[in-house]
Amino acid sequence: MTPEPTYELEISRIFDAPRELVYQAFVDPDQLAEWFGPVGWLVPRDTVEVDARPGGYQRFVMVNAQDPSQRSPVDATFTEVIPNELLVGEQSAEGIQGFEGIATMTLRLEFHDEPGGKTRLELRQGPFSREMEAGSREGWNSSFGKLDDVLAARA
Amino acid sequence: MMTEDRLSMVFAALADPTRRAIIARLAEGDATVTELAEPFSISLPAISRHLKVLERAGLISRSRSGQWRSSTLEAAPLKEATDWMERYRIFWDASFDRLNEHLRRVQQDRARQGQAQDTEKGARQ
Repeated sequence: MTPEPTYELEISRIFDAPRELVYQAFVDPDQLAEWFGPVGWLVPRDTVEVDARPGGYQRFVMVNAQDPSQRSPVDATFTEVIPNELLVGEQSAEGIQGFEGIATMTLRLEFHDEPGGKTRLELRQGPFSREMEAGSREGWNSSFGKLDDVLAARA
Repeated sequence: MMTEDRLSMVFAALADPTRRAIIARLAEGDATVTELAEPFSISLPAISRHLKVLERAGLISRSRSGQWRSSTLEAAPLKEATDWMERYRIFWDASFDRLNEHLRRVQQDRARQGQAQDTEKGARQ
């Protein structure tokens, strides 16, 4: 069975480290450069800039280790920051006529305590920031559940 | 395969809650502008503008039969968008494997430093 399609990515993962450490790994430039990106990609330390507060930024460049001409820059703006608990960032889809400022990819990272000094990281990424603020998430989920069925049937 | 720009247009179109509601409604079947406007407290011209954005992104097509113009959901661009999101899942899973290793090293270093400090304290006492 293939997973149901959704426009929002949700990943939950438990790390064997306390919440503060996991959070620091995202906002400390030295640490981010150590681990970010899949194997085969590097984040040069001198490309990393982080200002972890609302309105602040997270910028860095991922470089392919085999072919350094392959570069993937990330430039996100934090919209919500609660130290050791929550990071929400937005990245705009630039350069599209008529859509300036409309399209933003939102990345939401929640850090939760788990027994035994562990941390559960909840990641959510997608184009859906505004209805979450409006607090009508459940309604949308049911709408999109229906839509998922339709897509699965037509795909 | 959609070009990146086309995909950006799809996400731009999906970034608005009213347009997502319109898409969810069209998933149940074709509808006219009037039918689509029903659940919202916004004008017909405003709904028409949203439909134009969805049409440009290729998410819907519009046909005119008599005086009623009805909209139809186009599933293929949505499928491309969801496949694109799946690439991010693979990316994050691989990144988090590295984060896991990183956190292990950080904690080992801390434990070692802690032990060294304890030994120092012991020596002073």
